[in-house]
Amino acid sequence: MPAARRRALISILITAGMVGGTALFIFWAVHSPLQVQRFLVRLVMISLIIFLAILFMRYFALLWFAYLQHSEKTIRAGGEASSFMPPVTVIVPAYNEAEVIDDAIEALLGLDYPVYEVIIVDDGSTDTTVTLARQWEGRHGHAEVRVFTKANGGKATALNSGIAQAKYSFVLCIDADSSIEPQTLRVVMPHFEDPSVGAVAGNVKIVNRDHWLARLQALEYIEGLNMPRRAQGFIGAVNIVPGPVGVFRLDAVHEVGGYDVDTFAEDADLTLKLITNGWKIIYEDSAITWTQGPTSLVDLIQQRYRWTRGILQAIRKRKQILLRPFPDFPLWLSAMEMAFEGVVWPVLNVYAHLFFAVVALLYGMGELLLYWWILLTLLDLVVALITVSMEEEELGLVPYAVIYRFFFILFLDVTKTLAAVEEAFNLGMDWGKLRRISLTQGAGKG
Amino acid sequence: MNVIDLLILIIVVTILVTIALGVMTYIAYKLRMARKPATSDDETIAARYFVLHKPPLDATDPTEADAS
Repeated sequence: MPAARRRALISILITAGMVGGTALFIFWAVHSPLQVQRFLVRLVMISLIIFLAILFMRYFALLWFAYLQHSEKTIRAGGEASSFMPPVTVIVPAYNEAEVIDDAIEALLGLDYPVYEVIIVDDGSTDTTVTLARQWEGRHGHAEVRVFTKANGGKATALNSGIAQAKYSFVLCIDADSSIEPQTLRVVMPHFEDPSVGAVAGNVKIVNRDHWLARLQALEYIEGLNMPRRAQGFIGAVNIVPGPVGVFRLDAVHEVGGYDVDTFAEDADLTLKLITNGWKIIYEDSAITWTQGPTSLVDLIQQRYRWTRGILQAIRKRKQILLRPFPDFPLWLSAMEMAFEGVVWPVLNVYAHLFFAVVALLYGMGELLLYWWILLTLLDLVVALITVSMEEEELGLVPYAVIYRFFFILFLDVTKTLAAVEEAFNLGMDWGKLRRISLTQGAGKG
Repeated sequence: MNVIDLLILIIVVTILVTIALGVMTYIAYKLRMARKPATSDDETIAARYFVLHKPPLDATDPTEADAS
């Protein structure tokens, strides 16, 4: 049996096992003696209170640190503007990106920056990516485009190839399906005047907002990804420099050996390596890149499955860090947050909601569920309003907070839970390829 | 059925349907991956290793054809 089919079969069996096990547990609980039922209901209630307490503390901590980062940036912006603008190498790994490569290169050539080069690393594409990219080769004013091709080996090897060819001391790694804003390098590079800064994470936004699923992702990126990055940026320990936009000090990358090829979240893995080596990782919210969000549920699951397993692989490589809060507290905090968000929170979220729904249905506690929903929805609306305002984003995203938690996040957390179980079983996986549309066909930005 | 009961029903159904949808979509994703054409393991292993290409010091032509 082909490996892919075997893996799929095992995945489906694991999924069926978990669903069946959960259903059996619920069946047993409902038919157990009254005292056991009372105990279980009490346990569910206590779990939900703990869940609520963790949620409030998490939001409070993230918003507080995000606010401090925002204030610090505002104060810094009022001071003298930095003129630190060394040459930069932009690396674009590409695999079968024919639909979007022209848009990507055109956007890169429009960067408002004195000197930079663009290296396209074709990772063994089977479409016309290389042919299209080579049409851009050569000098374009202050920028130079170079194109390399290599045998297919995955994004990490493509990035390493690009890094090996880089002429300059700073590299901007982006995805081929992303469209970077012209001011990105100008706002990022001043951070590197601090010699302890190893990398700067940019602000990833969803561009194709004509689809409801993409609009939910747009809100998620603002509230669920960029807001935590702001908070982490305040302590200089952003735990993931995102693939679509990350600027690195080349010395730092060489020091940690470049991208490893043993995880499916090479961005998270490299970031953790940098933090482990004592480098500061900063977040710059003005370094904006627009990327496409999946517009089908299966494509979305595919993306999040890879993210979850990749992040867990990166954590697994350094699991000893989780047991040592000192001497490197920011590193420990970053790793704990990744483990918590990657495994603990999704599992808690799915089972808490499932058992609460069952308890509400079978034991007449529906009103409690309603108050719970109202409380969480109000919290989500407030957080959405704060984070959308902080990012000066479109207010039309805020109403999506009503279905954000009880549909969108819950839906994704099912995948994260199942992916975490597969990672625990060390099941094999491969990249898959998301469908792309040309950015000029998508909705306008913002 | 009053408004409160209706809201409760909507919330319960939404939670249960969302979890079920998540599981079914996950299975659909796995089935899609199972139908992909298989790639040879040897090709994948070989492709992970690449030859580091150092352009000659006197190279001035910005056009590169190959990384290996």
